Amino acid sequence: MSVSRRGFLKGASVAPLAWGIGSPVPHLLRRALADSEKKVDGPILVVVQLSGGNDGLNTVVPFQDKRYRQARPKLAIPAADVLKLSEGLGLHPALRGFADLWEREQLAIVQGVGYPQPNRSHFESMDIWHTCLRKSDPRTDGWLGRALDQWSATRTASDPLALHLGAEKQPLALVSRQVRVPSIRSLDQFRLNAGEEREAISQLVKAQRADDEDDLLSFVQTSTASAIDVSGRFGKLRDGGAKPHDYPATALGAKLSTVAQLIAASLETRIYYVELDGFDTHAQQPAAHSSLLKQLGDAVQALNRHMADLGLGDRVLTLCFSEFGRRVAENASDGTDHGAAAPVFLVGNRVAPGLIGTHPRLDDLDQGDLKFHTDFRQVYASILDSWLGVSSEKVLGGKFDALPAIRAI
Amino acid sequence: MAPSLKSIDPEWAWSPFVPSAEQPWNRRLAAHLRRRSGFAGTSAELDADIAKSPSEAVAAICTAVEPAEFRIDMAGLARPSLAGGDARKLPAWWLYRMLATPVPFLERVTLFWHGHFATSAAKVTDPELMYRQNELLRRHALGDFGQLVHDIARDPAMLLWLDSATNRRLHPNENFARELMELFCLGEGQYTEQDIRELARCFAGWEVRRGNFRLNPEQQDPGSKSILGSTGEFSGDDGVDLVLRQSAAPMFIVQKLVRDFVFDEPAASPELLEPLARQFREQGLKTLPVIQRILSSNLFFSRHALARKVKSPVDVAVGFLRALSGTTNFVKLAQDLGELGQDLFFPPNVKGWDGGRTWINSSTLLGRANLIKGLLDSGATRFNGGSLRDFLTRQGTSDSQAIVHRLEELLFAVPLPPAARAQTVELIDRKTGDWEKHLRGALHLVCTLPEFQLA
Repeated sequence: MSVSRRGFLKGASVAPLAWGIGSPVPHLLRRALADSEKKVDGPILVVVQLSGGNDGLNTVVPFQDKRYRQARPKLAIPAADVLKLSEGLGLHPALRGFADLWEREQLAIVQGVGYPQPNRSHFESMDIWHTCLRKSDPRTDGWLGRALDQWSATRTASDPLALHLGAEKQPLALVSRQVRVPSIRSLDQFRLNAGEEREAISQLVKAQRADDEDDLLSFVQTSTASAIDVSGRFGKLRDGGAKPHDYPATALGAKLSTVAQLIAASLETRIYYVELDGFDTHAQQPAAHSSLLKQLGDAVQALNRHMADLGLGDRVLTLCFSEFGRRVAENASDGTDHGAAAPVFLVGNRVAPGLIGTHPRLDDLDQGDLKFHTDFRQVYASILDSWLGVSSEKVLGGKFDALPAIRAI
Repeated sequence: MAPSLKSIDPEWAWSPFVPSAEQPWNRRLAAHLRRRSGFAGTSAELDADIAKSPSEAVAAICTAVEPAEFRIDMAGLARPSLAGGDARKLPAWWLYRMLATPVPFLERVTLFWHGHFATSAAKVTDPELMYRQNELLRRHALGDFGQLVHDIARDPAMLLWLDSATNRRLHPNENFARELMELFCLGEGQYTEQDIRELARCFAGWEVRRGNFRLNPEQQDPGSKSILGSTGEFSGDDGVDLVLRQSAAPMFIVQKLVRDFVFDEPAASPELLEPLARQFREQGLKTLPVIQRILSSNLFFSRHALARKVKSPVDVAVGFLRALSGTTNFVKLAQDLGELGQDLFFPPNVKGWDGGRTWINSSTLLGRANLIKGLLDSGATRFNGGSLRDFLTRQGTSDSQAIVHRLEELLFAVPLPPAARAQTVELIDRKTGDWEKHLRGALHLVCTLPEFQLA
């Protein structure tokens, strides 16, 4: 069973309360107790970013299409090996985890996702996915960051609204004007080692600075204060929480098991963001791609099952995306170069399971790449409007038609 | 009040700094120069700097030559790290080099190029190739940028890193051609996808054989190519030259130099950068004169530059140790810096480290504080060979006020808040217990404050 919020707070009321900046303790205590009575039931989004450009064509495989085999004499997945989804389409054989989700009607595959004038630079394309803005626009925040800004106006929670788990730099998608999103590598590492000076440090970090015009300094200051607060809270979780089992012993498995641990502890965090890197398969693709897809499918499947076991299946939606797909034709290094449109995956109890949109045509390419027919901002619009309850128009800077991807309760 | 960055005259910005009553040439500015040009200055270095004029101090830093003996020693020290075949041993070697060198400026610029031509041992694996690339970056760090690009294009570590070692005539691999334009020379948007495809053909047959560059004539593509508006039967070297000849190249590089040496944000406007780009172009892409001009400039010593950078993890650790003449366990330190997001020889991707605010998040902030704590708690950490107490006493700072003042001067680009100063004095002055422990506790406290993260 999950670590209850009450149990979680028991330690907290004994130890000095570490969260809540500068407020007097009695008020904080009251709020913490009130929070413990409050039911935490908001929808949660878990984002799994597949960095490097996932080869969508070898992920959702049009195994009966002649052109597929012609373009990929060495890399085509044999028809006999695919995990069949429908007439002519199948999953990469390493995606057993996704196949299981498909069987249990927990998986929606949005096909042919991209955007106009595709950019084939990793960084530029990822920035476009993160911000929904092109290079010519000033990009100071990300799509999820803008959603956080909308929430923060009415926020009473003491937990961070979003968390990034991983050692890499924080994704631009989470950057917000008002909210600092913590990045944590692991719960164990997330603590401040300080002896007798701890209290003094905590106070001095929060103390008012004379020059509040210095936005770089105030950025570092608010980030430091938030780090010290959140680490205090996680300290209690770390010491009290049980580690979930049944996750694959992979990097993504470890990250998603930490996500599960935090969700199970009734944290009020609404967005968890993790990355799986390595999809830039320019050379010797088959083994690398296969191992990445296995890692992805198995870890997402484990999270989905775990949430269902805890009775939280209705609250958790997982989104898996990559910055672009890959060139239809293989290259000479047993790999593929940067491409354009690719599938996006949505996982959870509340997705409308099945295929959304058709597979992009292999006989109608744009400079050798698959053409998109569904804008990634339509995927975002569906998540924002139908899942997170945030106006997508504000976040995306325009109206995008939602997809039939999420079921109403 | 100095004018806002937007209204600054580019000619004034890059003219030699003239001290004024408002901005006098003092230890604070000298510490800024040392932090940015190297990692940090010692008290003695600051004294030596202010005895000269600012431009003389900059010139001395920029023209210092690494003694041959030191170079030989460092090469010898690398050997055991390379012999085991494990590239994980290289970061500690480089950190040691950064700390021990009499010319930290050279290491700083080499690190800049490592971030620019970011190649990771995670893929290259062979430490010998990574070491050779590191030496190549150091050799050309302050020389001719064009030559550096030509050499990096044939560098085995780079060839393996960007898959150009598997370039075939019939299926040229686009990875290197793309990054040559996007990340190394021109910047995104200065070329078309078609340019990438054509440029990739120039590098067909560029291979690595037994750890060395080799041109495989059978795989070369002798045909005509159209690249960036020129058409011809271009070779790989021609391709590099075509890219270097683009007008976007000097601007792209000086913009990165300004971001590295002057301020993280905002992005400098093309108008502001133009005088530097012009100089870089007119002087045949020679790096040293441009950096020297940047470091000597009005803008560099103005409030737009002071404390306008977030320290990188290397700045935090090497700066801390250099300022206090410290030494420590470098293997441990290298691991810790990896945890903080700056794993030398293992950059996160070909774009290198983004730097600026991206260094900062809850994990890295706790990690930075814990790194300093770890250094102070470790028996391997010594200050000028001894205790912190002896080090400070020998510098003539033995009362708490003077100690805090000295630490502030050496380690901080912004003044400490008065409350922090008072608290630190109080911590040092605790009557009971071990004074060395109190000193170290106080030092840890100030290094956990947000001010410490700025350079």
